[in-house]
Amino acid sequence: MAAFPLTSNFQGDFVLQLLPVDTENTMDEVAAAAAHHSVGRRVPARPGHTLRVRRQGASELMSRTLKVSESGLKPMECIEVIWE
Amino acid sequence: MALLGRLDWYNLARTTNWTPGSVTEDELFPPDMSGSMGIPLSKWESYDEPYKQTYPEYVKVQREKDAGAYSVKAALERSEIYEKADPGWQAVLKLHYGAFPRAEYSASTAEARMARFGKAPGMRNMATMGMLDEMRHAQLQLYFPHELCPKDRQFDWAHKSGDTNHWAIVAARHLFDDMMVTRGASEVALGLTFAFETGFTNMQFLGLAADAAEVGDWSFSNMISSIQTDESRHAQIGGPLVAILLENGKKEEAQRIVDMMIWRAWKLFSAVTGAAMDYFTPVADRKMSFKEFMLEWIVSQFERALLDLGLDKPWYWDQLVADLDHASHAMQMGFWFWRPIMWWNNPAGVTAEDRAWLEEKYPGWSESFGTVWDVITDNLLEGKKERTYPETLPMLCNMCQLPIASVPGPAWKVRDFPLEYKGRSYHFCSEGCQWCFEQEPERYAGHLSLIDRFLAGHIQPPNLEGALNYMSLAPGEIGDDAHNYAWVETIRAARQKAAA
Repeated sequence: MAAFPLTSNFQGDFVLQLLPVDTENTMDEVAAAAAHHSVGRRVPARPGHTLRVRRQGASELMSRTLKVSESGLKPMECIEVIWE
Repeated sequence: MALLGRLDWYNLARTTNWTPGSVTEDELFPPDMSGSMGIPLSKWESYDEPYKQTYPEYVKVQREKDAGAYSVKAALERSEIYEKADPGWQAVLKLHYGAFPRAEYSASTAEARMARFGKAPGMRNMATMGMLDEMRHAQLQLYFPHELCPKDRQFDWAHKSGDTNHWAIVAARHLFDDMMVTRGASEVALGLTFAFETGFTNMQFLGLAADAAEVGDWSFSNMISSIQTDESRHAQIGGPLVAILLENGKKEEAQRIVDMMIWRAWKLFSAVTGAAMDYFTPVADRKMSFKEFMLEWIVSQFERALLDLGLDKPWYWDQLVADLDHASHAMQMGFWFWRPIMWWNNPAGVTAEDRAWLEEKYPGWSESFGTVWDVITDNLLEGKKERTYPETLPMLCNMCQLPIASVPGPAWKVRDFPLEYKGRSYHFCSEGCQWCFEQEPERYAGHLSLIDRFLAGHIQPPNLEGALNYMSLAPGEIGDDAHNYAWVETIRAARQKAAA
């Protein structure tokens, strides 16, 4: 358990944001944390869709249960949080 | 006895180079301070300044300019221009006064660098007057807002900002220290007078004075015009230098500095001037959009100036032009959403009339930035104001120090430009900012952005309260919506009318 900062690039939002998470968080939890700062503030909610995480520029999505500590992400690395 | 005409003696009087006998040439003009690039002293004497002015002429003209600016101010003091101005225009004044007066002292230092260490006699003469110009600009732009402090304490930021770690001031200081304070005379002439002043501020001040006149702020308009006339003179220091550098095989060096500083100036202008032109200035008073202004005055005119001097268009020119479609909107949105950390009350600028203007000037705005304002507007209409405030920080670029932002909505194209350098991760907003860093990485590598400082524990407690303290934002100075959300009620009324 350790605080771990990421950079959130949320689909449809206009700005990158600092995203404090924990090394034990799963990618679903990371996506929810990112949504907290974007959805309903500047990005409309999309009922029925799931949020997924990928590295910036990657085509493949990270597993929803993958933990931050297992992901290979570096502190402050930019993740894209996208609707599926 | 008849006096000689100025042109009969000017060149002789200002030809002040000599062959040093007691010290070496490099001791007299240290290369780092002069930016001499190995060009010998004799070559610098062909520098031919286009604006030949003597000191007595300078003093006479400046005295008249000062008398004009101060007398208009005095005459209008009781006219309540400020009180009657739209809050959007008040925001223009607060942003301008907070961002620039203290930087004018840095510009004075830069001119002093050229006045002492420039190897061209003509440059030294022009820069001596330029140095005095910049002091005048600082003093005018500190004195004028001082009168407004009792009316609104946010104007205290005109004097205070330079001593704070406010994020926007860190951004301005990062640029101005780079461009004005820490480079040799040649680099200052290329970066400050040619790229920044010829390219941007000279024209921007003309536009700002015209906007001020349009809203009826004659005091500000007159003062800015007074400053601009100085600017149009000392901005010409860089041009003749380019000729000397090109004649002596230094085009690559000149182009590199010019390219870096145009990019850096562009980023700052996209935030300050872009938001002011496209959102702060009341829509009825806007003469042209930021994009139109940039295309007409900067892109076409300055491009011609570059080519005429024998330089090339910067490699990123097409990207800069493409960025004109979104840069001002992204910066404005950041200003408004993070409004509690501004020293001015930020206008939203999205009434129905504003939105129609934005869509006309920037086709596609409604489908991109408009979608974000839709969410914000709905939250305010539904009484969910807390959803219109941030709970985290925007990522800031490690070069321009501005938010890393771009186009939202269905055409979403925001991205990070990351770079690893000596074990540290850097984040940039654009290829241009990353390129600037890569030109001189050791120069920039040690700087910490506000985000870096937050993560390093410099901001305590690590929350909004800590951030406000760190940035010296006191109660009464913290920003909010400029029109106190009155625009939301106009939208509510329009929707109710449509529903009925």
